[in-house]
Amino acid sequence: MSERLGMSIRHHTGFNYDGLAKASYNEARMTPRSLSTQLVQSSKIAVRPVVPVSTHTDYFGTVVTAFDIQETHPRLEVEAVSQVESWAATLEQPLGWSDLRSQRLTDRYSEFLLPTHRTALVGTVKDEIAEWQRLADVHQCAEAASEFVRREVSYVPGATTVSATAQEAWDRRKGVCQDITHVTIGLLRAMGVPARYVSGYLFPNLEPEVDDVVEGESHAWVEYYSGTWTGIDPTNGVRETSRHIIVGHGRDYDDVAPLKGIYQGAASTQLGVVVEIRRTR
Amino acid sequence: MRMGVVFEGDASGAWNEMFSAPGQPRPIYERLLSDLNAYQPQELRQRSDQLARTFIDRGVTFAHSGEERPFPLDLVPRILGALEWDRLARGIAQRILALEAFLDDVYGAGRIFDEGLMPRATVTSSSYYCRAAFGITPPNGVRIAVAGIDLVRDEHGNFCVLEDNVRIPSGVSYVIENRRAMTQAFSALFSDHRVHPVDGYPSRLFAALLAAAPRKATEPVIVVLSPGVHNAAYFEHVLLARMMGVELVEGRDLVCRSNHVYMRTTNGERAVHVIYRRVDDDWLDPLQFRPDTVIGVAGVVNAARAGNVVISNGIGNGIADDKLIYTYVPEFIRFYLGEKPLLDNVTTYRLDDAEVRAEVLSSLAKYVIKPVDGSGGKGIVIGPQATKAELRALHKAVAAAPRDYIAQRPVALSTHPTFVGDSIAPRHIDLRPFAVNDGDDVWVLPGGLTRVALGEGDLIVNSSRGGGSKDTWVLNDESIPFRGAVPPASARSRRYPPPPRQNDEYAFQQGEQ
Repeated sequence: MSERLGMSIRHHTGFNYDGLAKASYNEARMTPRSLSTQLVQSSKIAVRPVVPVSTHTDYFGTVVTAFDIQETHPRLEVEAVSQVESWAATLEQPLGWSDLRSQRLTDRYSEFLLPTHRTALVGTVKDEIAEWQRLADVHQCAEAASEFVRREVSYVPGATTVSATAQEAWDRRKGVCQDITHVTIGLLRAMGVPARYVSGYLFPNLEPEVDDVVEGESHAWVEYYSGTWTGIDPTNGVRETSRHIIVGHGRDYDDVAPLKGIYQGAASTQLGVVVEIRRTR
Repeated sequence: MRMGVVFEGDASGAWNEMFSAPGQPRPIYERLLSDLNAYQPQELRQRSDQLARTFIDRGVTFAHSGEERPFPLDLVPRILGALEWDRLARGIAQRILALEAFLDDVYGAGRIFDEGLMPRATVTSSSYYCRAAFGITPPNGVRIAVAGIDLVRDEHGNFCVLEDNVRIPSGVSYVIENRRAMTQAFSALFSDHRVHPVDGYPSRLFAALLAAAPRKATEPVIVVLSPGVHNAAYFEHVLLARMMGVELVEGRDLVCRSNHVYMRTTNGERAVHVIYRRVDDDWLDPLQFRPDTVIGVAGVVNAARAGNVVISNGIGNGIADDKLIYTYVPEFIRFYLGEKPLLDNVTTYRLDDAEVRAEVLSSLAKYVIKPVDGSGGKGIVIGPQATKAELRALHKAVAAAPRDYIAQRPVALSTHPTFVGDSIAPRHIDLRPFAVNDGDDVWVLPGGLTRVALGEGDLIVNSSRGGGSKDTWVLNDESIPFRGAVPPASARSRRYPPPPRQNDEYAFQQGEQ
């Protein structure tokens, strides 16, 4: 899809406490980045209760909004509203296998080649790796891995928890986009292909009209290194499109969790995540 | 004629610090030897007991196998000459400046990788590489306010570096207490020798912490952050806080609000600008590291990132203590400083190289194998002393995870006559000098902590492994200019601060309704 999309994205999340919370310290990673496939025109994060926030860019380049809430509060709400223009990347000619396996590149991207506890895989899941590695280029290889995971691991909301590992999702053959992404990353890394986790949004409507407001989703997919970082979405079986909006990158989910924090007080339940996307042009 | 104490012969084959040959004291020790010979063995026993009592009375203890023990102080001091000390101190200062440059580089531009001098994977594969430290720029450039560099003297009398400790090195309180106890028990020895004092350490540390403060803090408030009374080094935290005249706090005494840190006091809250922390990174901030910590301060890392507080030593310094990184320090000195290393490493083998690994694995009994992230002597296997079963287990462990180990040539650590039982016998020793970096100068406390392995033939000297220590003397010689003579930063005129750099900028905005 070479179409250029303009979108306004509202991402609302938070926690309800079974009582009161205080001394709450948080980091939100909910601000899209300006990249070669998207331009962020504006972005705002609002926190309730209202407190001052500060922003910085983390090791992986993701914009982080940090804040703390000292007063007691029954619920925490964080809302990010961003105006983004997005277009699809063209698929570049990939580097050859020998270049990709050169000392220089394997060292440069070493941290996207090593397994993390989230992405590590053992056993039969890797049976077909040797076959994929014989494919003509890394794009085909990534597609094969992505298709394999999409075929084998069913998308079942609620099948896993947010702390699930790739191996757990594989063993159940069920998971959500986060799990499917972790399994795909695990396979790519096992083949020596640098792979990273992408956190972002997906505009689901295939033919959105201007001013349509649709329910989007907080989404995760994969980028692998082929000479440039190249996106692929194993959950939907597509390459990264203009409907994929990137918030941040990491080795796995833990590096780019949209909202992480600690607090004192009663147990909490996650407010449903709401992502609304309106096409603006 | 009175019979002095008996000095047992040294059959270890190691360098003996006191004797160049049986019955032939090195010149620097002649005076001490004749002083000690004036004591009867029984008198020495009494003095030795007196030293132990002083320590128990003052609470100079450490935790060993789950119980509190005094750290045994041997009554025979170790002596270093002015010339030798000058060379050591310059070597240590050089090493610390190189490690500072390395930390600044790996948490910044990564020049060393671009130049191909070190694989990036060496850093990214380390459990100590702290991505949360990225983008935290210390105001005066100092991440290593305090370092403890462990040195050993080899069979040929050369000092070499065994490991660097730039996270939260401990032991300086023993240096101060050892001297205090020795001057009480053996005042006569000090009137016969001109020994550099060690009690200037706390004021040097204070000056360095003051110099490290955020530029906008006009009257910086410094605290010592301790994990609390159950920590093995609690005594040291108390001593340093008291001698610097600053508050000793625990995590629960501090609170972060909007990236500023405050100390809870009986008179309300007080802003804090420099935290000399003795809490490991892992336990320092539950938002960034272990969420289950109860000894940390939530939000303190982002407060440091915002430039409102300085965490000293810096977070992420552990990467420089990784023993695989240690093997590169001589290269850091050449690369970052353009200098020739003044101190050598102990000969060390990197096991990520397949050929080296094969050679080491085929003859493990010839090497000392250390975990890259060990401290306190934990996990070290001394090949020549290991059993077959230990070597088999080690072979398996190293082959499975070569990045986690290094191999070193076994060094027969030098020996020093040490009072054991009722005689004086050679025991292996090392040396941990302490250095303080105030951003203008690296000052090395004259002497440092000499640790002694009290069992005959033992090579592991750590207090956590039942070692003892010795008062360590650096003799004054007016013909040698002494580095310690430089006035501390607080007494010197201050430079204007450099203009802010790009990455000093820090957005701060009001939350939207």
